Amino acid sequence: MSPVLEMRAITKEYRGVAAVKQVSFTLESSEIHALVGENGAGKSTLTKIIAGAVMPTSGTVLLDGKPVAFNVPKDALNAGIAMVYQENSLVPALTVAQNIFLGKEQFFNRMRGINIAAQQFLQSLNFGVDPTASVGSLGAAQRQMVEIARAVRQKARIIIFDEPTASLTPEEKFHFFSLMKRLKQSGVSIIFISHALEEALQNADRITVLRDGQHVLTDSAANLDRAAVIRAMVGRNLSGEIYGVHAAGRTVRKRGRKVLSVQNLSMGSLVRNTSFSVYAGQVTGMFGLIGSGRTETAKIIAGVVKRDLFHGGEVKLDSRPVRYRVPQPAVRDGIVYVTEDRKIEGFFETMSIGGNLNICAMATKGGIFSLVNMAELRRLAKKWIAAMKIRAINGDARVIELSGGNQQKVVIAKSLVQTPKLIIFDEPTRGVDVGAIAEIHQFINQLADDGMAVVVISSYLPEIINLSDRILVTRQGRVVEEFTAREASEERIMYAAVH
Amino acid sequence: MMRAAIDRFFGRGDAAVTVPPMDGALRPNQKLEEAHTALEARAPDNLVLHGGEVLFSSGRDLRKLQTGTVVRSFDRPIACVAAAADGRLAVGLTRAEVVIVEPRGAVVPLPAAQTSCATALSFVDDALIVCRGSARHAADQWKRDLMETGAGGDGTGSVVLFPRGGVPRLLAEQLRWPFGALPIGRRIVVSESWAHRLVLLDPSGASPPEPVLMDLPGYPARLAAASDGGAWLAVFAPRSQLIEFVLREDGYRRRMVSEIDPDHWIAPALANGRSFLEPIQGGALKQMGVLKPWAPSRTYGLIIKLDDHFEPILSLHSRADGTRHGTTSMLEHAQTLFVASKGGDVVLSIPTDELIEQ
Repeated sequence: MSPVLEMRAITKEYRGVAAVKQVSFTLESSEIHALVGENGAGKSTLTKIIAGAVMPTSGTVLLDGKPVAFNVPKDALNAGIAMVYQENSLVPALTVAQNIFLGKEQFFNRMRGINIAAQQFLQSLNFGVDPTASVGSLGAAQRQMVEIARAVRQKARIIIFDEPTASLTPEEKFHFFSLMKRLKQSGVSIIFISHALEEALQNADRITVLRDGQHVLTDSAANLDRAAVIRAMVGRNLSGEIYGVHAAGRTVRKRGRKVLSVQNLSMGSLVRNTSFSVYAGQVTGMFGLIGSGRTETAKIIAGVVKRDLFHGGEVKLDSRPVRYRVPQPAVRDGIVYVTEDRKIEGFFETMSIGGNLNICAMATKGGIFSLVNMAELRRLAKKWIAAMKIRAINGDARVIELSGGNQQKVVIAKSLVQTPKLIIFDEPTRGVDVGAIAEIHQFINQLADDGMAVVVISSYLPEIINLSDRILVTRQGRVVEEFTAREASEERIMYAAVH
Repeated sequence: MMRAAIDRFFGRGDAAVTVPPMDGALRPNQKLEEAHTALEARAPDNLVLHGGEVLFSSGRDLRKLQTGTVVRSFDRPIACVAAAADGRLAVGLTRAEVVIVEPRGAVVPLPAAQTSCATALSFVDDALIVCRGSARHAADQWKRDLMETGAGGDGTGSVVLFPRGGVPRLLAEQLRWPFGALPIGRRIVVSESWAHRLVLLDPSGASPPEPVLMDLPGYPARLAAASDGGAWLAVFAPRSQLIEFVLREDGYRRRMVSEIDPDHWIAPALANGRSFLEPIQGGALKQMGVLKPWAPSRTYGLIIKLDDHFEPILSLHSRADGTRHGTTSMLEHAQTLFVASKGGDVVLSIPTDELIEQ
């Protein structure tokens, strides 16, 4: 049986630099095919070629054995290929139902009818999203659900998911993979890109590994294991470096002085009377399901959002009550928050690395009449590119041109430029390749070793367990449990997060 | 004035009714509940080491821990005790003065005007440090003093140094119920119960108190030296949002103090469950799947170990559902930590090698 999709010797060059080089790829009918590789390996480029968002420089794409050339995504959509992008493509001002039906509206539309249809459709996918809610008001996970629902509703023959589970809870992931299997049974072929290798190994029929824009390996998932995939991805054995340290008996850092005390903090129904402390010289992990109030708590501390106006609780930094209406005074006091959504909140994508770093340096030290010192800007960029091992030609490189892992390093460097005493990482390795994960983890550990108070918010349990010296578990807007690194296990943490 | 009014309206600043969390080194456990009973006695209070033996105060009696026998009785309840290396004992008597019991049995009273309401005593070399909880009330009226002081009121407590044969020296005043003193190096660390903090005092009285540990989640009581260089701190009751709220409501407190028996006040306590009239504690209601505590506990047992920078490194707890509450004193001796649970009518013993940093 011929494959439903075949790519032969595909090459895509940007200004003479090959993003993918002579890559051949096949997708069988009713197959789940995982595409894995480090950031910058060429996965997104390859799938964008399939979806018609990018034209290949050379090579052939065959659909049902016939050559095709998609000039725009609509061509691919008409041919039955839909893609759910990592950066979602929803219209924030419209409701969930309107987004799902966008482009498929009838001449006369009744909102009630659209809402009911959307509600039924979302329920059939086991997605708990209110169809009447504005997309702008949804969190990252719920937006992802709407994006997936929209792709599924288009009844495509081939669906491409780019990092579909990055922001989903374990329960939502379970529903998602069940949905993927249902789609497969109904004859749909699926390509999904994921950095969570366990997901690929457990759910895919075949796995293709790309490295530096080139095809490395395609094999049945049953023939592969985690170590083999990582070896193919990075060309060396990295698994132990990332999540094996804990098992090897890592020493837990001693608690330093109390830097932050959060007392009875409240913000609407998202943060409810929560209290906890953060200590210098330690990594305090914070785990909770989506909606458990982790991010909101961190944002209140950093002045990104405000606590309740009446009796909103207290935040004490070095035993001094602080209340920030905007982030700038928090930064000046030494609190920085590294966002979970780097693309929206993390950097100015069209500015250079140096420009991004300099803005943060000015926010800490400069006033409104500060002038940009180009020499200082370049010095900063050079220093932090070296310190963070950012892979870029030089400090003038635009952040948008970097891979996800390197973008994340820029976001972290931006925070460290501000010489914080408390740094809060929110999902520091989301959408980051395994090579960069190891480097980011090493950097976070180094910060704690240097005496800084570090908070790491993560939905990925192995990451939390491996990085943290103590672990706080949040549920329904408050910290409900605390574990030491020695006591923590995935089962105990998850139990506390759910029950 | 305006700031205070705004804070009160919004419930922020000094009017924020919050309590610090018990986490990190203060993470709750059952170590006091599971501890071995060294001796059951009525309201055991101040533990001291005298002549190689552990003594404790219980009502009017000073008793030996090992046998429970009475070493000496006084005509008033004992508020606090300290033992000097030369065999002298200093005993603070409730609603009276501090007396020095010489090794040969002679009793020498110190001036009542400067030693009334003694809550804690400690010898530093030959001199005696006297913590005076309040200038308004006696030591057994601590609850009344707290209710009259409120959350933001000025304290009337003080610390006085009595050099042997010398003139007494005031080291600090306007303290909020000093309840423990421990000489550390050339300075003296003092616990201030109503301020939930520890302060360092200069024995010369030249410099103002320097806070070294603030925002404790309970009411600190006595301090004792730890064998490895740090210190032990007893905490006799927990802070709760309910009591913090009451401490900010002057009118409510005035009426409660004038009309209700002190045992039934909404205030910290050493023991609970002794009368059906006292406020219920530990009650909760599950509504819409959310547990809503409506009667937070007023009693607790907590011992904290501090390192040499006064940072907590481990703790022992008797939680709301326990009985070994009202821990007012502790003493480390012979690889054992002895804890007096005044509310639980028991002295506990815990081998120190079982205690590891949290």
